[in-house]
Amino acid sequence: MAIRRISRAFKDISLSFEPHPITKDLPVLKNEAAIRRSVRNIVQTIPTEKFFNSLFGSDVRRSLFEFVDFGTASVISDQIQTSIENFEPRIDNLQVEVFPRPDHNEFEVTVIFDIIGQEFPTQEYSFLLEATR
Amino acid sequence: MPFTKFTNLDFDQIKESIKDYLRANSDFTGFDFEGSNFSVLIDTLAYNTYITAFNSNMIVNESFLDSATLRENVVSLARNIGYVPKSRNSSKATISFTVDAYGTSTPTMILKKGLVCVGDVSNTSYVFSILEDVQASTEDISFDSGGNTINARRAVFNNIEINQGTFLTKQFVFDGSLDQRFILNNSYIDTSSIKVYVKKENEVGLGIEYKLVDDIINVDGNSLIYLIQEVQDEKYELLFGDGLIGRKLQSGEIITVNYITTEGKNGNGASLFSFSGVITDDNESFLTTQPFTVTTESSSKNGSDIETLESIKYYAPRIYAAQNRAVTGRDYEAVIKKIYPDTESVSIVGGEELDPPEFGTVQISIKPKNGNFVSDFNKSRILSQLKQYSISGINQKIVDLKILYVELESYIYYDDSKVTTAKDLKSKVSNSLTNYANSLDVNRFGGRFRYSKLLRTIDSTDSAITSNITRIKIRRNLVALLNQFAQYELCFGNQFHVNKNGFNIKSTGFKIAEESDTVYLTDVPNSDLKTGTLSVVKNLSDGSVRVVSKSAGIVDYVKGEINLSTINIVSTSKPNNIIEIQAFPESNDVVGLKDLYLNLDISKSKINMIKDIISSGDEISGTVFTRDYYTSSYSNGNLIRE
Repeated sequence: MAIRRISRAFKDISLSFEPHPITKDLPVLKNEAAIRRSVRNIVQTIPTEKFFNSLFGSDVRRSLFEFVDFGTASVISDQIQTSIENFEPRIDNLQVEVFPRPDHNEFEVTVIFDIIGQEFPTQEYSFLLEATR
Repeated sequence: MPFTKFTNLDFDQIKESIKDYLRANSDFTGFDFEGSNFSVLIDTLAYNTYITAFNSNMIVNESFLDSATLRENVVSLARNIGYVPKSRNSSKATISFTVDAYGTSTPTMILKKGLVCVGDVSNTSYVFSILEDVQASTEDISFDSGGNTINARRAVFNNIEINQGTFLTKQFVFDGSLDQRFILNNSYIDTSSIKVYVKKENEVGLGIEYKLVDDIINVDGNSLIYLIQEVQDEKYELLFGDGLIGRKLQSGEIITVNYITTEGKNGNGASLFSFSGVITDDNESFLTTQPFTVTTESSSKNGSDIETLESIKYYAPRIYAAQNRAVTGRDYEAVIKKIYPDTESVSIVGGEELDPPEFGTVQISIKPKNGNFVSDFNKSRILSQLKQYSISGINQKIVDLKILYVELESYIYYDDSKVTTAKDLKSKVSNSLTNYANSLDVNRFGGRFRYSKLLRTIDSTDSAITSNITRIKIRRNLVALLNQFAQYELCFGNQFHVNKNGFNIKSTGFKIAEESDTVYLTDVPNSDLKTGTLSVVKNLSDGSVRVVSKSAGIVDYVKGEINLSTINIVSTSKPNNIIEIQAFPESNDVVGLKDLYLNLDISKSKINMIKDIISSGDEISGTVFTRDYYTSSYSNGNLIRE
């Protein structure tokens, strides 16, 4: 039987796999960095991409070829909000803000959330969604 | 914690094992969350493990005859124990026709091999061919037309056996290499139609015919033989000798293979044929013939499909175990299937088990795939071929199978809010019962009708069915010898249910010599309720019953046997001199004992649809239900079989 350790700290590896310049250790993402990375993974995974879990991810990519306006922004915001609520139980008070930037054909997304049970400040994390082809 | 769960085939379980391992052995903690980077790595690992486990599982499954599912593998495994699966069998018909040809004086007419006729089965046309030329001598029918004599000849082609399918020819040139394969590039071949000829490079004609063998007994280095094996996609490969077993082919020799590709059992039942063949004179020049009609001597039958995987898995080990010897009952089963491929089921009863015993005899009943009886011609053929396999001094006897019919009287309650019409539901039930009736549970010797399975089949036909009450009857058909004094014995092989008031045995009507009215059989049990007396009775117009013959025979309720003493039957109410005799089995599970072939007779079964007024919501208390919609689980007390 596995030993269950109760821990409120989260430790994840970084997929960059670039070794630490001095210790040559694998880079590690901790706590808020790990959770931020997880949120990004959820948003960027296309549903059906994950093995045997076809619902995992968000379908924002489908909206990227729509008009870059507030209507589409609202749809994207809903999709991100739903997917994060479904698959990331470690956060609370989630707010997703999506601003269309029609001149650049992109949306600026800001995800704001609190980490449950930790004394970290409210996290804010932004990224751009842009159709790349 | 060591990673010890090697047996998981489920992705989630594998993933959970990896997580358990990490939980105990790693500094990392975020892997429980699906969004984490670690989760990507775990997914990859688990997927890899899953695919490997699945592949190994498949490979191991496919390596054993019992669990292999791909035909290629099953056939290959069967080949290892010397079993050649049966190919499709072409349906065969016999035709005759008379041909008139004007302007020729040929002494013979030749019906060329290949396409001969086209026949129809259920509005689909099927071609029928012959494998070799058929020659018929002609008679002179020259006639005078306006002062000129016109040469004319007539030939009669009698009883030509035609095979459903397309005639094909394939030629190979042997190049002397060891790796040359002789594969006939068509699926659906009837291997019994294959004819192989081998000739030298510059020889004319087809050459010498080689014979198919399936074992190497009496084969030496000069034997002109070939073997056959099924390869991929239901195609067949020919194998020739190596100089030790069978003659070795010489480089440059030409192998000609004639064969038929057939539609199998779809070709059965064609009875009208139109001629599409080629007739030539003795110089092989095409003859223009006068229009003629084709007479069907026997319609097409005995076509069958390629042997199924289940059948290969069942018979291959048995044929191997029998080692080409018919000693035990199982051996007979395997050998008979081999020499008579049309066999669906075989029952073997040793003479010592018969009543009275017949030592030194083996009693064989065969149920062919098409129809119920084996023709006398086939019986004698099977018996003579069996002699090659059986022990000297043992006599085989093929008896016609005895069919024990199981009939249902089913009352099916349904929720009418869930169906469009009760009629639709009834036909659905009828279909699922027919499927059950066609299953191997019942349709074989030693089969067993399973009551509980049947109830489940009915209930699970549709969600609208709320329950069913089903009564079971067993029936045998007595074939009466009209206008003759005869004794009859009918064995049901199942204990009868006895009601001490009688009416356990019921029959359809028949007439006997000394009585003008239609009479019926009924029974009166003795006080021990183990045996009873059969009586012949008739119905009077006022509804009462008069006994015509008080003791017409005896019933053994325990053995399930009816013995009718000497009686002269003059006619029967049912066609074909049949008297249907029914009884109620003591157990609702009916067994096909010894040579009894179990048949669930849906056509004579009764399916009654009754609205379930409680489930439908029409009634809550159940008072109307028990008054008007009630069904007894027991049988009626009528005198006559209906």
